[in-house]
Amino acid sequence: MSFLFRITLLLCFSWNVWASEVKLDTVKVETDIASIERGASVLMDTCHSCHTLKYIKYRDLISFGMDKQKVDEWRDEQSLDTPLFAQMAREDAIAAFGTAPPDLSLMVKARNGGANYVYSYLLGYYLNADGELGNHFYPPTKMPDILNSSTITEGPELTQIQNQARDIVSFLSWVADPHAAERIQLGYYVIAYLFVFTALLYVLKRQIWSKLK
Amino acid sequence: MPNRIITWIDQRFPLTSFVKHELTGYPTPRNLSYWWNFGFLAGFILVLQVATGIFLAMHYKADVALSFDSIQHIMRNVNYGWLLRYMHAVGASAFFFVIYTHMARTLYYGSFRAPRELMWWTGQGLLLLLMATAFMGYLLPWGQMSFWGATVITNLFRATPFIGDQVVIWLRGDFTVGDATLTRFFSLHYLFPFIIIGAVLIHMVALHTVKSSNPSGINLADKDNIPFHPYFTIKDLYGLGIFLIIYSVFVFFIPDSLIEPANYIPANPMRTPNHIVPEWYFLPFYAILRSVPSLVGGVVAMGLSVMIFAFMPFLDRSRIPGGAHFRPFYKIQFYLFLLDMLVLGYVGYVPPTDQTIAIGQVATLCYFGSFFLIPFISKAEERWLIKRGLPAEVIILMESELKDKEARRLKALRRKGGVA
Repeated sequence: MSFLFRITLLLCFSWNVWASEVKLDTVKVETDIASIERGASVLMDTCHSCHTLKYIKYRDLISFGMDKQKVDEWRDEQSLDTPLFAQMAREDAIAAFGTAPPDLSLMVKARNGGANYVYSYLLGYYLNADGELGNHFYPPTKMPDILNSSTITEGPELTQIQNQARDIVSFLSWVADPHAAERIQLGYYVIAYLFVFTALLYVLKRQIWSKLK
Repeated sequence: MPNRIITWIDQRFPLTSFVKHELTGYPTPRNLSYWWNFGFLAGFILVLQVATGIFLAMHYKADVALSFDSIQHIMRNVNYGWLLRYMHAVGASAFFFVIYTHMARTLYYGSFRAPRELMWWTGQGLLLLLMATAFMGYLLPWGQMSFWGATVITNLFRATPFIGDQVVIWLRGDFTVGDATLTRFFSLHYLFPFIIIGAVLIHMVALHTVKSSNPSGINLADKDNIPFHPYFTIKDLYGLGIFLIIYSVFVFFIPDSLIEPANYIPANPMRTPNHIVPEWYFLPFYAILRSVPSLVGGVVAMGLSVMIFAFMPFLDRSRIPGGAHFRPFYKIQFYLFLLDMLVLGYVGYVPPTDQTIAIGQVATLCYFGSFFLIPFISKAEERWLIKRGLPAEVIILMESELKDKEARRLKALRRKGGVA
């Protein structure tokens, strides 16, 4: 029990161990189906071998409106109701990288900075003086530099990997919150209704109170 | 026919007279400002939280292996589950925002003063119940912040003299926060709102005995009271409309702004987050906890910082009515106190450095200092104001308050049979 006591004290008085505060790049998250589908393609090619998306099933991709043929290619023999499990077994991934690759379903919500963080992280690789790979935004990362951002630093190729990273982030944003578009749409209606309703209540209030001398 | 039914009921139950006396015809001061809308709003949110909560509980699973996934099930697969869950999560913050505003209004206008002490104390009890309910509800998503927040806060009970360790285990149902903790928090999170409803009824009975306070600070003559319906039903509904617009902006457009990102990571007892922060509504009290460099001292200071509001009827010794309205020093003190709360909230939010710890300690001293100084400042202020010459209206108010007090004393004596 004294262990927990020490933890509490530690939590209370020594939070100086901090992830370095690096300024994040900002990204405009796309919400159109084309970008999200492109993002899904890149993700299935480059991330899906290690990372799962356990809250998304292949059927969800089709009902969202993605190309059925593509989805069928991705799922291969698996049923439509299979979640997007990684191709690599978890144990193998731990053996290969030393840590389990995290599930990506909620990645955009689970990090400070959200989509900007994931975007910056994907493009944040560099080679240090000894030629070792590092990442500005998450130094302890074990993930390889999938977009080659450590070697591509300029030119049209840079634009290309930036677009790929943006598409991945757009897809992951949809994955993290598939009802976001519906929510925002409904929000406009609700607030428009409330404005009219409240305006009427205000008029009624003025009218009722005007009876008081 | 409906009249006959009502007559039938009225002969057996005081339906019409109750509605007339306590609802439609309930006398309400006509000079209430919009700051008096917040009690009604708190009641509305209570109903909203219970309603959304009951439906969430139909889909939620209180089990360490299932609860995180069941929240995602609600968010993704349940029809409008995302709406229910965001309404409930934003509703918790809205509840505290409304309650804190309600309390600030009470402090500003001195509504806690005689004869409304019991309103203030039942309100204090409601605040504690609300805090307990919110704290237990926060464990249910079983995210990292849920787990570590519950670990840190239950661990504070170690400060209990002699049986600290046992109390912590008793609260958690285990040596660490685990399945036993989750299931009991779920059970109690469902129970407490109904205790709150009961406490609200007591709060309302007290209100209908002493009636609403008002910005002038004294009990108004009958001619200044107007029936609750239609004047305040419509005013409360209009206020509700404004509230719902702001609430909907949060629910539909920025629902995650009040949820810590780390709570979207499933609880992991083996990995402590870099930075454990409570929800925004606990931040000032959390800052006070952290400002005292000992566990017991911090817990006592934090407990006292919440409970100290209950002493306000004793601390404020001024006889000048009307809260801050006629009292310049009290007004300054009120705004400085709000500022101090904001500073404490900031200190509670940021990771501690030497600098923020120092700021937190000064702010904590200011927090308690402002309460301890009230008896002296209020008395000195009263003397200064009387010496300077009070406006005629205030003197009339004071005299009528004195008369009221005397009347209440006599009535009490008569009831005891002391005066024939």
